[in-house]
Amino acid sequence: MSEETADFTFELSERELSFDVDEELYALDAIYGAAYLFVDRAYVFLARPAERKVRVRLRSKEATTPEALEALAGEFANELLNSQLRVRIGRSTAALREQYMSRAFFGQQQSSTIAELLAELDAEEMAEEPLEVPVPWAKGSGAEASDG
Amino acid sequence: MSTTQTRTLSVVRLPLVEDKLNFFRYGDVAGKKLVTNDTGAWHFLDEASFRDLLAGRVEPGHAHYEALAEKGFLRSGLDLGRFAEKMARKKRFVGQGPHLHIVITTLRCNQSCKYCHASRTNMDRVDTDMSLETAKKVVDHAMQSPSPYINFEFQGGEPTVNMPVLKFIVEYSREKNRYENKQLEHSLVTNMTYMTEENAEWLIDNEVLVCTSLDGPEELHNYNRTWSKEKNAYADVRRWIDYFNRRYVEKGRDPQLWHVDALMTTSRKTFDHWKQVVDLYVELGMHTIFLRPLNPYGFALDTWKRIGYTTDEYLGFYRQALDYILELNRAGTEIVEGTAAVFLMKMLTGDDPNFVDIRSPCGAGTGQVAYNYDGKIFTCDEARMTAAMGNDMFEIGEAGVTSYEAAYGHPTVKAMAVASLQDSLPHCETCWNKPFCGVCPMHNYMTSGDLFGQRPNSPKCKEHYTIASLLFERLADDPDGKLEQIFRRWTLTRPREQGSSCAV
Repeated sequence: MSEETADFTFELSERELSFDVDEELYALDAIYGAAYLFVDRAYVFLARPAERKVRVRLRSKEATTPEALEALAGEFANELLNSQLRVRIGRSTAALREQYMSRAFFGQQQSSTIAELLAELDAEEMAEEPLEVPVPWAKGSGAEASDG
Repeated sequence: MSTTQTRTLSVVRLPLVEDKLNFFRYGDVAGKKLVTNDTGAWHFLDEASFRDLLAGRVEPGHAHYEALAEKGFLRSGLDLGRFAEKMARKKRFVGQGPHLHIVITTLRCNQSCKYCHASRTNMDRVDTDMSLETAKKVVDHAMQSPSPYINFEFQGGEPTVNMPVLKFIVEYSREKNRYENKQLEHSLVTNMTYMTEENAEWLIDNEVLVCTSLDGPEELHNYNRTWSKEKNAYADVRRWIDYFNRRYVEKGRDPQLWHVDALMTTSRKTFDHWKQVVDLYVELGMHTIFLRPLNPYGFALDTWKRIGYTTDEYLGFYRQALDYILELNRAGTEIVEGTAAVFLMKMLTGDDPNFVDIRSPCGAGTGQVAYNYDGKIFTCDEARMTAAMGNDMFEIGEAGVTSYEAAYGHPTVKAMAVASLQDSLPHCETCWNKPFCGVCPMHNYMTSGDLFGQRPNSPKCKEHYTIASLLFERLADDPDGKLEQIFRRWTLTRPREQGSSCAV
């Protein structure tokens, strides 16, 4: 398995940086997670310009330079990669975590083998959510573009 | 910039083989990748090895295979039962109930410190003394905690101003404990300026641990801790530290366990005297120095412009002082920095010190409670101080009126637990420092008006992250292992002191 290179394209204007993130590449939680890390330095606006796309707009809280904005874009790109990696690690180990957490706090034994846990995880991924209870706004059928 | 410009960066997406890994967090520390997991295990990897880990290439024969497998980072050979046991040990405090019971025997105080958090009143305000009747209700309430360890910590005001109530609580709780059989401790946080020989002898004979405030050398201590013009607060505290320590020895007590401990609070003026502060603690034979920052409560809010500082300024001071303390330790002097010791116990041992300010969830209402002089119960002492500032949002009941179940099942206790449970907090849940850190919702509330706060805007987050980073950076650069030996010594707790304000 080899490393994959991708382009990260962004627009710079006065005090502002914006770019679209494709949800085919990055989970929404990863986008939120990365954006959250910038709330001390920038006003963060999220919008939905098209299906499965999130537009991120970072407006610097203080006067800045094009170079600093470009550096901020690079930093965001790195955080987005990290955030996506963390989401994937979290999701792929969710069943294991549930297992050791329940044993640690309640002493209960659920499934006992890694194979069973993986099967359980697969079943969860395949389960349908007819009421869309855990579906966040951006994935809901009636979601419209808005600033976050 | 008047026009919009478009730029493109090239980014590398690392491959991940998901079914080879157990859950872990990671971050960049000391020029390496630091990986940590829910048991508090951690491991440094170079960039190439980190990529190996993600890509499932850490297999038998790999330089890091044995360590990562042993620490539970890999699915291969993972013993879930053992992993869960380690985690349960780290989180043993969950469900035990409050162990730290802070009792405000009076709000009266003869000092008026510039940063006072404690909502003191003048010495003529006898109406702010706790009554014996209230004290009895407080003990009856506190002893219902299921915690096997109970520490009554006397604070104020100056708690020795109401010595009859302090004595009553010690004696009555001991009497009750004949039936409860808990590990029962009593500790006193005193400024020493109201101490008498009679009271000192009683405290020694009754095994009440004494902790005082000592901000540093005379000029600094007296500047911070305003007293009457004719009196010298520094001279008094020195005299009584010497008295207690001498009497402990004369009574044959083990000086490792029995000596006065002290707390210092960092003000802007401390920055000019930081080395002298450390030297003074060493000179006095103190086991620990707690380089505590100012908190945004009480008088400190009013005097912040004069005595306050930024988080970066505090951390600069902390770094200097920590390195000096380590230099002293390398030269054979044993002195521990308190906050570092809390983190190190989580990093280097299988235990958690149950330090209520740095744990997940925080101790508010689940590890500690504070009883005001009138019997009102608060989730923590900071909550009691906030009430004194006019906001009683964190009051959870009243001793003698509210049942134990009602107080600790109070919605505010639940809110504090939710707001400090790092597994569900943005950024904390993925931060490498999560197993070692803790969130204080009261601090969030005081600095941002929100129990949850925002991690990138939280001074406490920056403080804890930086301190943990400093410790890991030093552990990463320790070729002969001598620093780790010092750090491991810092994690040895003295059983008398767990859970109190002076404890590490």
